[in-house]
Amino acid sequence: MDAFWTSRVMSDILGGLTNGVIYALVALSLVLIWRSTRILNFAQGAMAMLAAYVGFAVLAPSTNYWVSMAVAIVAGVVLGGLTERTVVRTLYGKPEINPVVAMVGFLLVLESVAAAIWSTTERSLPTPFSIIDWQLAGRPVAMSPFALYEVVTAIVVMAVVAIVFQFTSLGLQLRAAALNPEVSRLLGVRVTRMLTLGWMLASGVGAVTAVLVASNYFTGLTPTTMDGVFAFGFIAAAVGGLDSPVGALVAGVLLGVAFQFVGDFINSNAIILVALGLLIVSLMVRPSGLFTRRTERRV
Amino acid sequence: MAARISAIAVALVAAVAVVALGVPTAGLRVVLAVIAALGVAAVAALTSARVRREHPVVARTLITVVVVAVSLIGTARLGSNVDTDLSLGAAMTIVLLGLSFLTGSSGQISLGNGAFMGVGAFTVAIWANHHHSSPLILVLVLAVMAGAAVGFLLGLPATRLRGPYLAGMTLAFAVAFSAILNVFGSWTGGDSGLQLPNAENAPPWLTRLYPASTASLSVNSVWLASLTVVAAGIALFFMSNLFASRFGRAMRLVRDNDVAAELVGISLPRARVTAFVISAAYAALGGGLWTIVNNAVTPSTYGFALSVTILSLVVIGGIGTIPGAIIGGLIYAFSNSAIGWITAHTGLSPQGNVASQLNGIIFGALLVLTIIFAPLGISGALRRLWARRTW
Repeated sequence: MDAFWTSRVMSDILGGLTNGVIYALVALSLVLIWRSTRILNFAQGAMAMLAAYVGFAVLAPSTNYWVSMAVAIVAGVVLGGLTERTVVRTLYGKPEINPVVAMVGFLLVLESVAAAIWSTTERSLPTPFSIIDWQLAGRPVAMSPFALYEVVTAIVVMAVVAIVFQFTSLGLQLRAAALNPEVSRLLGVRVTRMLTLGWMLASGVGAVTAVLVASNYFTGLTPTTMDGVFAFGFIAAAVGGLDSPVGALVAGVLLGVAFQFVGDFINSNAIILVALGLLIVSLMVRPSGLFTRRTERRV
Repeated sequence: MAARISAIAVALVAAVAVVALGVPTAGLRVVLAVIAALGVAAVAALTSARVRREHPVVARTLITVVVVAVSLIGTARLGSNVDTDLSLGAAMTIVLLGLSFLTGSSGQISLGNGAFMGVGAFTVAIWANHHHSSPLILVLVLAVMAGAAVGFLLGLPATRLRGPYLAGMTLAFAVAFSAILNVFGSWTGGDSGLQLPNAENAPPWLTRLYPASTASLSVNSVWLASLTVVAAGIALFFMSNLFASRFGRAMRLVRDNDVAAELVGISLPRARVTAFVISAAYAALGGGLWTIVNNAVTPSTYGFALSVTILSLVVIGGIGTIPGAIIGGLIYAFSNSAIGWITAHTGLSPQGNVASQLNGIIFGALLVLTIIFAPLGISGALRRLWARRTW
């Protein structure tokens, strides 16, 4: 049994799971925004990065991890709301290229501003738990207390989002506003407020993600930390279907594990090639994602 | 009407004369005089709406000649630093034309054109390292072909994708590009990139014409700038015809109403892939020229940031218009000087964080503001002003 847990295959699965939940969280926040506003938020990673900087740079050097995490989440929520109210609101109903361009511009502004304030030097964040892998019969298991904390936190975040959407009046209103804005408005749902709330929620999820990514020993926090993570998260969201939160989560975790195998058995450069190939193939086979019901476009 | 033509013509003659008088050699003065004459004729012809309507190809040729001539005069007069900026900007104009066509005509969007540039740039460098002293034109044709091939591969899924999905897929390509280069590290030189074995030098006839090569104005940088400007001129000419061609019109129908396009017999997949291939080929040509101008290529140049810059320039200049691409290229050429000027006049430390990020902050903010308040960019705004004129 010990040999099983420390085997190469199991190490890849566990390591992949730790990365996969991160991709799943990024994918989840993309899906939340896509469903409610039909905007693919290219600035998602940068917004999350900025929130993490606020959490950890503003309070330094009194670095209590949990206080910083809380500040980062608040910063993320506020930033999400502000972004929706100022930039995004002007983009509703415009040609679908406009939001893409605007969000890419916003991404550039956020990354440049972060680099102007905090420089591009990598900043390592404190970790609340040990990053040293557990040992089993003298051999390492590919799971450390910190990695376990990452996975648990991700699951908690997903659960909170699911509970909010499924079991609260707010969640019902959020879903109604996304599904049919006109009818919802007639029935008394404050649709514009719901859109803002959707962005706040997604951006808060993003902030948690960025803190998890940045306190990982291997990455650290730089203004471009989230670029690669965002790309993988987008791939997960696109493969799973931008309309399907469940699809995004499943695809994120599966991709994380798959990439770990590719990295281990081929090499780490091959990961992004495989990811790109997978994205292209899956978009050609099912352009709307593997987990969404197909809707025909009408004239 | 006649007054307007003669006013512009006189101004142009005066400008060219002033430039020509300062030129050191007699031979170049003759060349400039010919260019001036052509320019005057062109401007006169262009201001006549009738010529533009009835002889569009002639009009486009003349526009191209005027743009190239003015730029060439510039290269010979402005000093090496400006020449290098101008070379990079002219090559960038080619890239912008490609993306402008893709986005403006067929309505697709690409965040991967920086990587397509990289394909061209590395093709040139790899070829030059294996086949010394190949003719320039052959190397550039190879770069274009490589770009078109990669564009075709990435364009295939584009046949079925709509805006944001396509943007995300090309973004993934842009982010993946440096890893792809690393996979082929034995060819591409991995992270450090490649040097060209031989620098592109001015041909003897230009050196004879230009004996007074000084530190501030070297004949080689004049040659490189002229080369890229002429390449940009050729690209410009093809693109302006493409925009107006049957294919260009079909593209705009695909963009505005794909169902109607299918009904009149346009094959959507073929139209979309073709637009993608053209855009990638243009980007690769620009990238190949960059390698020749810089005499080297590094992977970090062709990261995601470059793709964002390309998109910014296209949008700020004006999506889907030829003047927009030229404006974007000029902005690119002189943005570093402009930012240096801002830094110097605001008392920012040139090595500081803020100064080094000013570029991104300004371009990013301009991009957001342009798409919100003036989605047609500078050329759209100018066109509106021109339409409102009272004379």
